Amino acid sequence: MTTVEQNLRPIATTRPKFSWDSGVQWLVVIVTALLVAFPAWPIILQSFMSKPLYEENRAFTFDNYTNLLGNARFWDVLVYTAAFAVATTIIAVIIGIVLAVIINRTNIPLRNLYSNLVTIPYYVSPLVLAFAWMQMYGPQGFGTILVRTLKLPIWQLYSFGGIVIVSAMYYIPYTFLYATSSLALADPQLESAARIGGASPFRTIWSVTIPLLRPAITYSALLTLVSSFELLSIPLVLGNSVGIDTLATYLYVIGVVGVNKDQGAVAAVAVLVVILVTGLVYMQSKLVSLERRFVTVGGKATRPKAIDLGGWKGIVSLFVGLYVLLGIILPLGCIVLTSFVPFLSPFMNPLKMLTLENYQGIFGSPAYRQSVVNSINISIFAAAIGIVFMAVAALIAYRSTFKYRNAVKYMALYPRAFPGIIVGIGFLWAFLLVPGLGSLRNTIIAISIAFIMRYLPLGFSAVSPAVLQVSDELDRAGRVAGATWLGTIRHILLPILKPALVSGYILLAISFLKEYSTALFLVAEGSRVIGTTMLELWKQGGAEPVAALSTIQMAITAVLIIGARKLMGVKLHE
Amino acid sequence: MNNDLIIEGLTKQFVTSNSVAIADVNITVKEGTFTTLLGPSGCGKSTTLNCVAGLEQPTAGSIRVGDFVMTDTARDLILPPEQRHLGMVFQSYALWPHMKVFDNVAFALKLQKRPSDEIKQRVQESLALVGLEELADRYPFQLSGGQQQRVALARAVVSRPKVLLLDEPLSNLDAKIRESARIWLRGLQQQLGITTVYVTHDQSEAFAMSDMIAVMSMGKLQQYAPPEEIYERPANRFVAEFIGVTSFITGILQNVDGKKATLKLASGELLNIRKENKSDYVWKEGEQTAVAIRSERVEVLTEGASERENTVKAQITTRTYLGSKWQYTVETSGGSLRLESTDAIQGDSLFMYLPPDSIILLAG
Repeated sequence: MTTVEQNLRPIATTRPKFSWDSGVQWLVVIVTALLVAFPAWPIILQSFMSKPLYEENRAFTFDNYTNLLGNARFWDVLVYTAAFAVATTIIAVIIGIVLAVIINRTNIPLRNLYSNLVTIPYYVSPLVLAFAWMQMYGPQGFGTILVRTLKLPIWQLYSFGGIVIVSAMYYIPYTFLYATSSLALADPQLESAARIGGASPFRTIWSVTIPLLRPAITYSALLTLVSSFELLSIPLVLGNSVGIDTLATYLYVIGVVGVNKDQGAVAAVAVLVVILVTGLVYMQSKLVSLERRFVTVGGKATRPKAIDLGGWKGIVSLFVGLYVLLGIILPLGCIVLTSFVPFLSPFMNPLKMLTLENYQGIFGSPAYRQSVVNSINISIFAAAIGIVFMAVAALIAYRSTFKYRNAVKYMALYPRAFPGIIVGIGFLWAFLLVPGLGSLRNTIIAISIAFIMRYLPLGFSAVSPAVLQVSDELDRAGRVAGATWLGTIRHILLPILKPALVSGYILLAISFLKEYSTALFLVAEGSRVIGTTMLELWKQGGAEPVAALSTIQMAITAVLIIGARKLMGVKLHE
Repeated sequence: MNNDLIIEGLTKQFVTSNSVAIADVNITVKEGTFTTLLGPSGCGKSTTLNCVAGLEQPTAGSIRVGDFVMTDTARDLILPPEQRHLGMVFQSYALWPHMKVFDNVAFALKLQKRPSDEIKQRVQESLALVGLEELADRYPFQLSGGQQQRVALARAVVSRPKVLLLDEPLSNLDAKIRESARIWLRGLQQQLGITTVYVTHDQSEAFAMSDMIAVMSMGKLQQYAPPEEIYERPANRFVAEFIGVTSFITGILQNVDGKKATLKLASGELLNIRKENKSDYVWKEGEQTAVAIRSERVEVLTEGASERENTVKAQITTRTYLGSKWQYTVETSGGSLRLESTDAIQGDSLFMYLPPDSIILLAG
């Protein structure tokens, strides 16, 4: 009975001064605070300074703000951005909901195929989507020329409407995925009750199914609103040549491209945008918690019977098919095809001109090749470090008695209010200002840190639901059995959370692969990534090398997704 | 050496809401005995248990086993759960789903870095104790609820803790298994002679298993006594109401004389009370008071016996057929009562007999 004797050891009179548990907890809270504060302070400071931070004789001033607010161009851009974000949100949410209901609840042919295809834009960089639409439907696009030669009426993609439609295409999968998981959770008895009460299938969808989706609608609408507000790529690629600016492209133009870079103005815009987005994010969290009353988690295993559309089902399937074909398959197919030919034209058979020249051009250039290697390294290693850090942060927030656990949660979620381009500006200035850190810009370390900060909320929210689903009695049992907090995490929580961590890792890896806006300012000679190289090549006018890079990026993403599904049976998106 | 579990002055106050989860709880569990914390949800019984386990931190108080002090706020000492050497069974059993039964049970021993022979032998002993040695290679999801509960118990006792904590371990079992599990668990506890604290809201469990019952309400310990005393001599109105089916009759105390008194109802009817079985209530002449009586102690009389001592006339307001018996709600001038009878009583009224030694005078 040695254990019993152990119990009788002398009484400990004080708490241990240091434990690994609290050491790790403090480390995570401090690193999180640093990650969030590091890019924020130079921007805030700069916005009140008369000259760039690295120059002498700068003075405190409000001029940056007063100049900006007196600038008619800024107000035009702001109004334009608001209109763009609202229009994009309305279209994306309506189409997303309609697709989710049709594909998940009706018996149209091919619905299983569609349910996979409509989510493709979720995994593709918006930059790639913009290039794809440009290649297909731009003024010199394959499809445009084809239609023009048929003497049919033609459209203008480089316009407000064009930008809104392409952006909506990018955001539709978000609504679709949220609505789909919400439909899967809804209690099918609610629909049955409506049918028994005398409602037709359509009436049931309209009066019961769609109202039950309200939390998903609210959530995805606000998510789309916030994201499109800060979206850079699509407005930049499609609007640049016709002088259309949103806040993100405006920042890009005055900060990166502009001849006289006015850092004070950039900082002031950045601060105002962060304040605006903070307001939106705050509204989102308030509205979402209000919508809780609609959540009907029945935990029912039974799936409701698909609603029979009768004679309509062929027509409806045809429309969904056209959407998938014209919106997703053709543009992306077009960009893949472009990458394998010297030029793409409806007047020459592309299959007779197939070539690997574009890829040879990419891999033959050390700088371009390096950007691909960098992107892959960041996806693999930075995402791995990131997901572990975010998982520990989530475990502290939801599974510890640490004093500042709520602070960890808020800090980890706050970067949602920072558009990528602003994160990039902040990190750039911070790296330049802190002595000794400037050289990191030439390595992928600086970009990796910025990406991890930018995607803290994504990783944190990807892991959190899984953490909350694990009964806390499991870790309590571990503690009582004699494990420390870290021991409980290592032996009990991490093994149980492994599937969630793997899917969070893949999600993060794909996001890092897609990310470009955070890197735009931060990028230096040795730290190019695929996205920044694509923009560089686009500015030089090379559609084919851009297409090759896009194809490479999509291929890597596909490998990641298929690998995750096949090897580990992991489902992505929450 | 005496290894009683002693809880003193245990208080937990929430800083934010300034409300109290538990207030000044004092309980001594004698070594080797079985104590149940009983009360409605939110009464503080689980908080008390979690404070013993170290899963929650009290704002004041001390907890020790013999001279092993686990919590003493006066000395700023609150040991984390892993340093308390306790066994605990949770409501959901909390079997780790990624570990086989063997590994679940072996976990605590592995953390103690015991040699693998010893681990193997002790896990086998522990599983044999609960009769599941054949299932060591199964995963928890392959077991029935009852088997999971037994594994949880094997896991809790494998490191030979001196105190076993049970948090409603039977509440997830089917009603039929629950009764046999109750008897089995009590037998096992006596076989191991392990000091046990059990939390439940089910009084029949508490009565069937416990040496002592601690009735809690609103964060306060209402009564701590053996089961018979809890039932026969409830300390206050809450305990009387919470335990069993109890009715209250209001009247005025008269003829207080040593061990006897009379309660006069509004109708003039008189009820004699004898003090032997009552709580330590101080009798006061002429005071309006409510007395309690268990509904099964009330006897329904056949017509004509109204001249007998302690007989009260009542109007029947509801009657409910329960199969084995009838349950009636009746109205007297002292208030309404619930009572049971195997007879189907005709008519609107009845006479009932309230035995003088079954009437309980209560403080508060």
